[in-house]
Amino acid sequence: MGYATLGILTIVVQKLMDDFASIGTISPQLLVLFTVFLTLREGQMVGMEAGFVAGFFDDLLVTHFLGFTSFVAVIAAFVAGFFYKEGEVEIVARNLNYAWISAIALIVSGILVIPIVAAGELNYFYVFLKFTVGTTIYTSLLAMIVVFVIGRRRRYV
Amino acid sequence: MFKWLSEFFLFSRNYVVFAILLALSLFLISINDNPQVRGLQVVGLITTSYLESGVNAVVGYFELSSANKRLEEQNGRLIDLLARSRRSLNENRQLRSLLKLKQQGENRLTAADVIGRTLEGGRYLITLDAGSRLGVKVGDPVISGSGLVGNVMATSDNFSVVRTLLDNDSRISARLENASADGIVTAGEYGLLAMKNVPRRFEVKPGDVIETSTLSTVVPPGIIIGLVREATDVSGTIFKRIFVQPAVNYSSLSEVFVMDYRPPSEVSMLLSKAMKAR
Repeated sequence: MGYATLGILTIVVQKLMDDFASIGTISPQLLVLFTVFLTLREGQMVGMEAGFVAGFFDDLLVTHFLGFTSFVAVIAAFVAGFFYKEGEVEIVARNLNYAWISAIALIVSGILVIPIVAAGELNYFYVFLKFTVGTTIYTSLLAMIVVFVIGRRRRYV
Repeated sequence: MFKWLSEFFLFSRNYVVFAILLALSLFLISINDNPQVRGLQVVGLITTSYLESGVNAVVGYFELSSANKRLEEQNGRLIDLLARSRRSLNENRQLRSLLKLKQQGENRLTAADVIGRTLEGGRYLITLDAGSRLGVKVGDPVISGSGLVGNVMATSDNFSVVRTLLDNDSRISARLENASADGIVTAGEYGLLAMKNVPRRFEVKPGDVIETSTLSTVVPPGIIIGLVREATDVSGTIFKRIFVQPAVNYSSLSEVFVMDYRPPSEVSMLLSKAMKAR
């Protein structure tokens, strides 16, 4: 129930960030942050399934491009799943590891999604720079802020 | 066999689910142009429009003072422009009557505020606070003071969604004003537009104006799209590669006009007649 609320909140904030916090045409991928967080706490399988479902609703309400965020979120959860440690859930999910695991998940999903974004029209290098690198940097910075805000309160950082 | 399969699934469960979910996502991506899926997208667009409209109202309240000042400045400039336009209009009327030219019909404009943006996955859509109640229809061209913004993609009673020229799916028939060459303007790279299908024989220079073409059936001709930033010949093809600086600054776009444009019905009737004759 808590995760569902967090997921809905993520989608709403994502929509608002598209409107008010995008830099040029670069917007942070908050849903990937949510998926990575969930994967680090609950494991690869739950992360992938939840990422797909949350991605579907994000596509329906935010990107209006069905399948796109689901694709990115499933890959991000799959990648983040390799960093899941059953006994160290809190430590991994709440310290700086979360930021760099999110960055790795974003860069891998961002590279795999290049052909879809380029749509046979745009230069792949341009899409890599703008979409993959730009989005990864912006989203990872947000992840670091989240880590500092939550982690400091619990003295993990 | 079944035992082997179940063992294989248990061992590689995560990989199998990963493959299935990826395949499902790709399937969803592939059916985005399906009319039923389009309908679903429109429902999503309209749902989020209400959220955007509420947030925009709150943000707009705090920006009223600066918006007021900006509008006063704009008003001063517009009064000056209006005086000059009136003179030109009178002169134009006189010349047209002398030449016995048919007067061009005026298209009704509906003012609207931009209340939201969608910028992911090669999409560049904007949401407006004007919908079918104000006469906005799917396909209507949307303009700003600087030039063409895009076309209406979906409408509800109170909102509409516009596909801008920077959207990967946007295609607008355009003309180079100086060279009188027609082509297609699509989304380009690095925030620019790209003009395609312009033959190499035309001389195109940086700064040349690109406007909507008379060949277009979705937008009226003569609306500025942008200026040529760079034009090069592409080796191995007969066309030029033209980068276009959009006339509209999309990141600061806040007010637009929706144009009630209907292409001449005689032309579409003639076209359908010709298609039937084939």
